[in-house]
Amino acid sequence: MTIRLLMPALVFFALGAGIPAYAATAEENYRFHCAQCHGLEGKGNGINATREMPVSPRDHTSALEMGKLTDADIINAITDGGRRQASRASCRRTENTFKNEIPRIEGLSEEALQLQGR
Amino acid sequence: MRRAVYLSAIPVLAAAIFISTGAHAGVAEGKKAFEARKCASCHQVAGPAAEKTIKDQLSKKGPELWYSGSKFKAGFLEKWRADPRPIRPLAYNSVTERNTGGHPMLSGQEKADVAAYLMSLKSADVKPLGIQAADNPKGRIAFVRKHSCYGCHQVRTRGSLVGGFSGPSLAEASERLNPDWVYAYLSKPSVFKPVKMMPVYAGIINDAEMKGLAAYVGSLR
Ligand code: HEC
Ligand code: HEC
Ligand code: HEC
Repeated sequence: MTIRLLMPALVFFALGAGIPAYAATAEENYRFHCAQCHGLEGKGNGINATREMPVSPRDHTSALEMGKLTDADIINAITDGGRRQASRASCRRTENTFKNEIPRIEGLSEEALQLQGR
Repeated sequence: MRRAVYLSAIPVLAAAIFISTGAHAGVAEGKKAFEARKCASCHQVAGPAAEKTIKDQLSKKGPELWYSGSKFKAGFLEKWRADPRPIRPLAYNSVTERNTGGHPMLSGQEKADVAAYLMSLKSADVKPLGIQAADNPKGRIAFVRKHSCYGCHQVRTRGSLVGGFSGPSLAEASERLNPDWVYAYLSKPSVFKPVKMMPVYAGIINDAEMKGLAAYVGSLR
């Protein structure tokens, strides 16, 4: 269900951005950029998810939570920061970041996919 | 005597004079001590930033020091070298393990020499804009709410530490960081940290707001 939901996003990213030879893998990208809040396993329990944090990071392994999102929402959360204040401030990784060495976001959705499969 | 006072009041300038004239042993001695103590096995002391991939960053064992003289406030290094309390809540490059401290210590002349050496390492990308540390409301709102900096950085409010853990603690940044460097760090991310866990804000936060943030960060106690 969620897997199907994320798959088109993956394809979109893969087509939209050429992957340079030195591209980091999905897992590297996710662990480096997102795990600090979403947790190494994507459960939303990263080290920054303290009690004072006004909104908890999204649990990427929750079919219920992720099922509410469209592909566009996911793409948005990363490239633009998404609709919500908390994700807008936190999840966004700009082109600048990715231009240097990170092959855009395809890997992140892919990682979310792998997490779904666990 | 007069000259000594003048120099100690402007240690940054002093360091520059010392290198150009070679009159002071501190910098050269400090460089020697830095090498002898194998500090360079964990710290990069020659710029520019060389890391291009996440792997490059993850293979580092400690923060870059090649722009120390632009980053740190005068006096901070000597204080910290004698009592290196954790700055980053987490072990370097980890998102799970705590920083248990235990950084190598220095004392006496060696400490002063190494501090002089590190303070001689400057980046031309940090312009002396003279941004003054100031707790300003716009900066505070940007830091706490608008851009959620505090979601990853500890700060002290009413005596207790709050905030996230993945970034270096910014509590006591007023003793540690030069506001002009904070501004340069935010506005020219690829110069100082091309591969970073922190989001890039250049192009997202406008120049005035960025300066306000730098002033605010520089005021944190
Ligand atoms: C500083 C912490 C932080 C980081 C780093 C972070 N996120 Fe988030 N993320 C959040 C928070 C908090 C929310 C919840 C927002 C809400 O529900 O209002 C969220 C929500 C999301 C959502 C759901 C968005 C929506 O519109 O409901 C997605 C997708 C997401 N994050 C992906 C990512 C990815 C991919 C990364 C790594 C590039 C990342 N995040 C990095 C904190 C973070
Ligand atoms: C085993 C690796 C290692 C060695 C050897 C080492 N350091 Fe460090 N150093 C670190 C780490 C990790 C940190 C971050 C500590 C923290 O945040 O609390 C650090 C932090 C620093 C800082 C503060 C930098 C900043 O941006 O916060 C200075 C200055 C410093 N080291 C100088 C030295 C000197 C001088 C030596 C040699 C006597 C040395 N280090 C040896 C790993 C090392
Ligand atoms: C997603 C977590 C995150 C957010 C949000 C974040 N930072 Fe950071 N910050 C980091 C990390 C991690 C580092 C260490 C370098 C790196 O890997 O990026 C850092 C480094 C820094 C440094 C350098 C500190 C030092 O001693 O070297 C400053 C200054 C800073 N951040 C300020 C800010 C400001 C201002 C904001 C908000 C506009 C902000 N940060 C938002 C995670 C974050």
